[in-house]
Amino acid sequence: MEQTKWRWGFKRWLVLAVILANYFLAQAFAPVLPHIQMAAEPLPGWMGFFALAAGVLILILGLKDGARESILIAVWLGILGLLPLVTGFKWTNTLTGLVISLTLLAMIGLAVRRAVNSGDMVPKGVSGVMEFALEAIYNITESTAGKWAKTIFPFFATITLLVLVSNWTELFPVVDTIGVLEHAEEHGHPIQELFPGLATITTGEAEHGEGYMLVPFLRVTSTDLNFTIALALIAVLMTQVIGFRAQKMAYFTKFINVKTFFTKPFFGALDFAVGLLEMVSEISKIISFSFRLFGNIFAGSVLLMVIGSLVPVFAQTGFLMLEFFVGAIQAIVFGMLTMVFMAQATQGHGGHEEEEHAH
Amino acid sequence: MDLEAARILGKLIGAGLAMIGAIGAGAGIGIVASGAVQGMARNPDASGMVQTNMILGIAFAEAVAIYCLVVALLILFVM
Repeated sequence: MEQTKWRWGFKRWLVLAVILANYFLAQAFAPVLPHIQMAAEPLPGWMGFFALAAGVLILILGLKDGARESILIAVWLGILGLLPLVTGFKWTNTLTGLVISLTLLAMIGLAVRRAVNSGDMVPKGVSGVMEFALEAIYNITESTAGKWAKTIFPFFATITLLVLVSNWTELFPVVDTIGVLEHAEEHGHPIQELFPGLATITTGEAEHGEGYMLVPFLRVTSTDLNFTIALALIAVLMTQVIGFRAQKMAYFTKFINVKTFFTKPFFGALDFAVGLLEMVSEISKIISFSFRLFGNIFAGSVLLMVIGSLVPVFAQTGFLMLEFFVGAIQAIVFGMLTMVFMAQATQGHGGHEEEEHAH
Repeated sequence: MDLEAARILGKLIGAGLAMIGAIGAGAGIGIVASGAVQGMARNPDASGMVQTNMILGIAFAEAVAIYCLVVALLILFVM
């Protein structure tokens, strides 16, 4: 039998130190179940500087590589950052999450760009992972959408990547924990000063009107209904656009079906009613898209908070793994459903055209 | 029992009742997965396509449970 040699690794001791620190810190500062709010909480307007900094970072990184597309992202982030500073726009903590997701995606994009321009045929690191992921996504799109794959693929890939990155910000350590303390009218917690200007919430209920609650700087973007509804609207509206491009005016006979209205006595009227139901189903697609993502990720973050306040050591690790999995599945499902609906919209539902596409 | 306690009681019972809808989604996901596994066992070559459609079917079935969850969360944290 082969003897395995004991090695004094570095990372295992780091993990052990983190676990011990976790245990002692949980003893010193008992974890609190934070105030759970469904709508995104407003933050002070100076958070706009965060978006400005992200925009400048992307601009510098992009112009170093000569990527002119980064100017577009930087301008967009700059406008977003100036809004709360100049006007009365309320900066919410889910917007912080969105800025972080966008910055990460832009940096991944720049890394892939550098790898492509370097001329290496075998991509390594981040670009290798991205090539694998995008190739898998493209293959799925091509097997479903056929010749429309090139049109549909950008939507599938963009939605999947954005939702994936924003879902996985849930796994960052500072999410939902570091923020500003605000006076709470009811259900507030008493606070304990650690250093001047730095305080922590403690367990227990404060007197009426004297308690504080935490408004975190960073919250997962997908726990904001505005984000998910915006994505769902883009997905469903672009489905109509792609359907129109594929079938021209014939696409709208799916909704207002008068093809058989005058030729068949009873079933013509039935077809017309079914066409109206198709319109309802488009609207229900928006609702189901947005609430699926929102519900999954919001429930996940509530679960993490509750578990973290009940069993602060070890237990959260398992649930973080679960959330990692759920975030990936939801991102893939959102993108894949968009792709399938778009592919269905390119295929006419009447007679000969369908058989043509099948082969 | 005062009014505030009755309100909290009603909220908790309502959230619990709202989650009954998850039963159907659980059964549905089980049926989808069982069908997909049988299909993959009979025809392992088609497992890629079966898996894609299985995930889609699970997503549709799961949506119902997520609606229940959203309703329960709304009752608990918003109302």
